[in-house]
Amino acid sequence: MGKRESARQDAAFAKGAVGVDGQATEVEQKDLAELEHDKAREQMLRGRTWLGREFLTWLLWRSESGDPVVVMDKAGVEALFVGRVVLRGLHGDVVELSAKGTLAPYSSQVKRALDAGLLLHSARVRFTSGERTWEAALDAEFLDIRSAKLPELLTEEEDDRLSERLDLADQLSAMVNRLLESFLAVRAARAWSREVVPDLKKWMRGEDEARPPGSTVQRLAARGRAREP
Amino acid sequence: MPILSGSVTFARFRVEPAKEGHSDLRHGFARGLKTNAFEPLDRKSDEDRSAGFAELENPDSTEFAPSNLFYGERALFCWRVDTLRVPSAHARDELKRWMLAFEKEHHRRPSKVERSAARANIRDELRKRATPNSKNHDVAWTIGAKQLQIWTGSRKTVDEISVAIEGAFAVKLVPMIPDTLATKAGFADEALRPTAELVGIEGEEANHGEA
Repeated sequence: MGKRESARQDAAFAKGAVGVDGQATEVEQKDLAELEHDKAREQMLRGRTWLGREFLTWLLWRSESGDPVVVMDKAGVEALFVGRVVLRGLHGDVVELSAKGTLAPYSSQVKRALDAGLLLHSARVRFTSGERTWEAALDAEFLDIRSAKLPELLTEEEDDRLSERLDLADQLSAMVNRLLESFLAVRAARAWSREVVPDLKKWMRGEDEARPPGSTVQRLAARGRAREP
Repeated sequence: MPILSGSVTFARFRVEPAKEGHSDLRHGFARGLKTNAFEPLDRKSDEDRSAGFAELENPDSTEFAPSNLFYGERALFCWRVDTLRVPSAHARDELKRWMLAFEKEHHRRPSKVERSAARANIRDELRKRATPNSKNHDVAWTIGAKQLQIWTGSRKTVDEISVAIEGAFAVKLVPMIPDTLATKAGFADEALRPTAELVGIEGEEANHGEA
């Protein structure tokens, strides 16, 4: 056996391609769909990313009515999804779907995809509080603030502008946290699986015409009013 | 310097003291940054990359005087990364030129060893002439609120900076992601398993969200 051939066999053994008998080892090969599914599953479970996806999906549902989703510093915070949204899921033929268009996030195509088991993974959201508007891209895994637009700066001094810019960035971060806290409170409550999820599914199927997204809250409020003397 | 102008992109962290961490962060803040201050690349060494903390408004300085470090309740600084890169296309062209000159002079093609030595020489020469590519990633640390923002879009850089800060200040940076915010708010893991109807996983898989 030549030197080169011997070196080649040693390298193959070191790589685990052949055994001590020089025969090829059995390589466990997963098919492509299985690998894709494993990857999608890993992405969803890493850092409990499903919470972020459920949060963005819940926020999309809550934002459709145009009503404030939470109250911060005595002002309501409204959210509006704008531009491109990316949906990800685990099962079926499609594990990722991207929708682009002015009203794409609220389109029936996106809702159908959500109903089929995909959830929002990243989106661009416009937040309005009082007369000020912020806009940022959010992703379900890290909730990083990306390519954000801040409200117009009001100060003129260089140092003051820096502080104001950072204050506005902090306010945006606080708004995202506040919305997430609000979602987590709903998510951890019993009403989540009993009321909210069925309402969400109806909305995804387009069966909620008679019931606007704030229905659960509105019904509870109406029940409270009925009990009043 | 994105903090001062430009794209607003940042990762968010809560700052928690590590076990042996000191409570008064302001005191000795500059000393913490200096433990991992930026050092310019040494062209004589083999290092192609240098990274460390620098002042926000003057990334050439690592003095960290309080007036250049504290802006109100915030500490602002940057993570400077310098890299020296020799363009491979340029190196290839130089090598071709050298091979032509060699053949003309010796009336033969250079051997593998000669070619390899020439390639190393050319790389060293080009490296000496290359201008380092410098990138600054800003950090805003609101000490009182125990919050920190790393202003960059690169996850790899965010991880590198957070490790450097944890090492320099004996603190733990907890990312503000749904997982940690849920834990901080005290929600039980049981109540936050994936919603089978939404996520599309059922049975055991949904019951063991961590699976």
